[in-house]
Amino acid sequence: MAIGNRQSAMYAAAALLSVLGLADAIYLTIEHVTGQSVRCTIIAGCSEVLSSSYAVVAGIPLALIGAAAYFGVFSLSTLAAFGYRWAATLLTPLTVAMFVVSLWLIYLQAFVIRAFCQFCLFSAAITFCLLVVVLLSHGLHRSQKSV
Amino acid sequence: MKRILPFIIILAVLGIALVSAWYFTRSMPVSTTAAGSQQPQPQGSSAPQAAAQNPPVVSKGVPGAEPAHVLGPANAPARLEEFGDFECPPCGMFHPILVEMHKEFGDKLQITFREYPLVPTHQHALAAASAAEAAGMQGKFWEMHDLLYERQKDWKTQFDVRPVFEGYAKEIGLDVERYNRDVASDAVAQRIFLDGKRGHSLGVTGTPTVFVNGREVPFQSLPADQLRVILQREIEKK
Repeated sequence: MAIGNRQSAMYAAAALLSVLGLADAIYLTIEHVTGQSVRCTIIAGCSEVLSSSYAVVAGIPLALIGAAAYFGVFSLSTLAAFGYRWAATLLTPLTVAMFVVSLWLIYLQAFVIRAFCQFCLFSAAITFCLLVVVLLSHGLHRSQKSV
Repeated sequence: MKRILPFIIILAVLGIALVSAWYFTRSMPVSTTAAGSQQPQPQGSSAPQAAAQNPPVVSKGVPGAEPAHVLGPANAPARLEEFGDFECPPCGMFHPILVEMHKEFGDKLQITFREYPLVPTHQHALAAASAAEAAGMQGKFWEMHDLLYERQKDWKTQFDVRPVFEGYAKEIGLDVERYNRDVASDAVAQRIFLDGKRGHSLGVTGTPTVFVNGREVPFQSLPADQLRVILQREIEKK
């Protein structure tokens, strides 16, 4: 079944949201790579979060992994908006996985590091919005199928 | 065309993302300068190396607290000014580097410490700055400064740090009664305020921020091996 106009619009919205997430993740990656995130700053929280051991996974900055994930979402949602059904199929599990990781990161900030970084929270908010848009598109597709 | 358009969009966004990341990674050390002015960097060198060779020029800023806390002679060829926060972990990590540089360069290096407690980011930073300044009133600023950094992990998680700092005051041989008076005095508060004012005038936004002969040293050039190169170069200039 082809992707309808409403669904295309929703996937385009997901692509736009993922660009915001990508910009945020790139900013955090640059902060990490240049060492700026390690400094203490007037804005509370970010340095504690970004200099913690959780900010790096297997030697790779978590922000860089986030940037790759957002780029993946952007690519898949752009392809889905142009009617590539396989891209829409892959988009849902990727977005769900990102949402789960975001929940884990919020837990770490709240209960382990005990500091919040506003850029990380912005990323979590974007991921939540992406999940809503992608699940709505998914639901729209299922309802179109059943008609 | 419609089949390949999404791939063109994806490649365009990837290109923009990579170019922006490259551009901002290169410009980040320069963008954190106090005066916002920059000097041309040598072609073909990496950003941190270039920054280490040619740190950006900064304006002089307003004066801080006088007399400042200074180690080393006034005519030293390399003059380092640090804006620090005793509760900031990177400042704690930078402390042994400065001790090493002080031992290594001796009279060729002058070190000035400026209070820059990040309030409210660090709940005990102001109390720690006050403790150091109160110790300074009895001529033992550096002794308290060293203790606060060396034992940062012990006190930063405490609920009430006042008895801890009072213990440090006893340990370094201060008149504790006078210390307790001074720590809450206007004179101490005024010194911290003046150092902060100087920091603001130089565009300091985080700690540690270090200037060598009036030029800000990018944060990534603060490891001992890179700082040594910068100080050595300043000494050779004179």
